[in-house]
Amino acid sequence: MKYAFYPGCVSRGGCPELYPAAVKVAEKLDLELQELTDVGCTGAGVLSRDLSDPINARTFAKAERNGLSTLMTICSTCQGVMMQANHRLQSDTAYRVHINKTYLADEGLEYSGALEVKHLLWVLMEDYGADKLKAKLTRPLSGLKVAPFYGCYLRRPSDLMAPKGFAGRKTYLEDLISLVGAEVVDFGGKSKCCGFPILTANEDNSMRMVSDHTGEAKDKGAHCMVTPCPLCHLNLDGNQPNAEKKAKKPIGLPILHLPQLVGLALGFDEREMELQRHIVPPDAAIRNVKVNMLS
Amino acid sequence: MMQTTFKVHRFDPEQPEHARLATYVVELPESASIVDGLTYICDEQDPSLAFRANCERGSCGDCALRVNKKGVLGCTTKIVDVVGKDGIVTVEPIRHVPVLKDLVYDMETFLWRKVRAVTPWITPQAAGPNGASTVSEQKIAEVRTAMSCVMCGLCDEGCTVVAVDDQFVGPAALTKAYRAIFDPRDTRHVERLQSISEPDGVWDCTHCFEANGHCPIGIEPTDRIFEIRDEAIRLGIRSGKQNPKVRRHYDSFVNSVKKSGWLDEGRLAIESEGLFNVRGLLKLLPTAARAIVRNKAPIPYMHHKRPGAKAIRQIIEKAEGKRS
Ligand code: SF4
Ligand code: FES
Repeated sequence: MKYAFYPGCVSRGGCPELYPAAVKVAEKLDLELQELTDVGCTGAGVLSRDLSDPINARTFAKAERNGLSTLMTICSTCQGVMMQANHRLQSDTAYRVHINKTYLADEGLEYSGALEVKHLLWVLMEDYGADKLKAKLTRPLSGLKVAPFYGCYLRRPSDLMAPKGFAGRKTYLEDLISLVGAEVVDFGGKSKCCGFPILTANEDNSMRMVSDHTGEAKDKGAHCMVTPCPLCHLNLDGNQPNAEKKAKKPIGLPILHLPQLVGLALGFDEREMELQRHIVPPDAAIRNVKVNMLS
Repeated sequence: MMQTTFKVHRFDPEQPEHARLATYVVELPESASIVDGLTYICDEQDPSLAFRANCERGSCGDCALRVNKKGVLGCTTKIVDVVGKDGIVTVEPIRHVPVLKDLVYDMETFLWRKVRAVTPWITPQAAGPNGASTVSEQKIAEVRTAMSCVMCGLCDEGCTVVAVDDQFVGPAALTKAYRAIFDPRDTRHVERLQSISEPDGVWDCTHCFEANGHCPIGIEPTDRIFEIRDEAIRLGIRSGKQNPKVRRHYDSFVNSVKKSGWLDEGRLAIESEGLFNVRGLLKLLPTAARAIVRNKAPIPYMHHKRPGAKAIRQIIEKAEGKRS
């Protein structure tokens, strides 16, 4: 399977452990990734759409020019922003023609509207398939209790992210946790916002969201949380100490990136998945897995 | 006829410790709604039950409730569509509101003060020669969806921010604001955008799309909020006076993508605080120190350019130039 690979800014910036983990997992699974290096930031929901739509259309056109029909993301936010832009470009031909003519023609590019944008989670569950993935696992994570955290943009708007025929997308993360042999810790915050988008506008509210979600998962017995979104990771992991302080509650819940969880089950060790880079050290969770491997 | 067991939230403000779910068995036709069920209970079994409903056709928003943990309009929700296999429906007040009695909650605290805060009426120029303020069909089309908002508050009930902070103006009031902002007759366009750009306003929205999922009539309040925000950006507003960080954050974001094609996160953190804001920068230190120790702190301004940086810059400049 061949994909145009869009790693996003954060997997190379604030969460540099995500990129190598994703690439290693893809290699092990024989997913062929052709990384797009000369494309821009999606806008992350911060840039207004009059700026981000043409930038994203350019990315799509580049993927098409490389002869690829699916673009793979490893970030819920990139996924959501690109998918919404793609939806506007696909459903409104006049708009797409306008964007092509005004912004892409200078470089001789044109977006046809045919590209599919898929997060790694969807690629694993839909294209690769649960059975094939299961066959590749060498280290079932039995005994590890994992809380899923989707991030807004992999779930909503629901008619776009999980349209007819794709209703399973609402539980892929839970399905994947079970598939790698770990135990799902269900909790109310799993599909809520992590608070990252308002970190600048209202830090107190953002920290409340971090302490509410990580605290709830921890109280329900989770050893760690897994997220397909590095922006959620930045807030839930990077700002967890600040949120704990504000909430006056110790939490200490390690947050794993999706490829790290899969990577551990594929036999990569803690250092290969660069877990040492996390702000909340995942030692306790990993120790738990090791105990179960030996027993 | 069908038999259903209603479990209804009962709350007496004089005995708040006795809040409970009371059980009522009702016998109603298949076409009955949740409000029909509550009316039946009130008429036939327990006249002390308090709930609100007015139009009973989904146009006044009065009957917003939580049925089986999901916010709905009670009058347009048929029992048969929500009843569990066990024949039970649970009816509770919506969340994040002060409950006054049973299913009746305080609309003033929940919605009205927020709606008032966005001055939800338009201020047109003097009327035309025939005494009317006319507007073209095409121009009013944009606001027509928002005009069908019934002010049920279900988007606020589902809002991720209202859940942690009841001062946030919320998607319902922002939908009202949208309706006025984009009405071609209004004369307070910029003033409105400035006012909702202050703290607890439009920039406090996480754009998590929860509001879209909770609106029972498809107004898509999150999209309306995006449109307000994009319009504010178009007019160079980008934040309120009391939260200049939001403006700095946006500007830094655009500038870093313009410069290198992608986001310089280190630069974004510093510039959002403000290059001369010593207190703000000091506040960043513990987080930065933790990241440095873990070897994951993006070094500001050491960001290499993407190969496509020049083209991306041109796109941004062209798009910015096109804003009229
Ligand atoms: S936008 Fe929808 S959910 Fe929100 S108040 Fe209006 S009708 Fe209700
Ligand atoms: S009673 Fe008016 S909307 Fe339900």
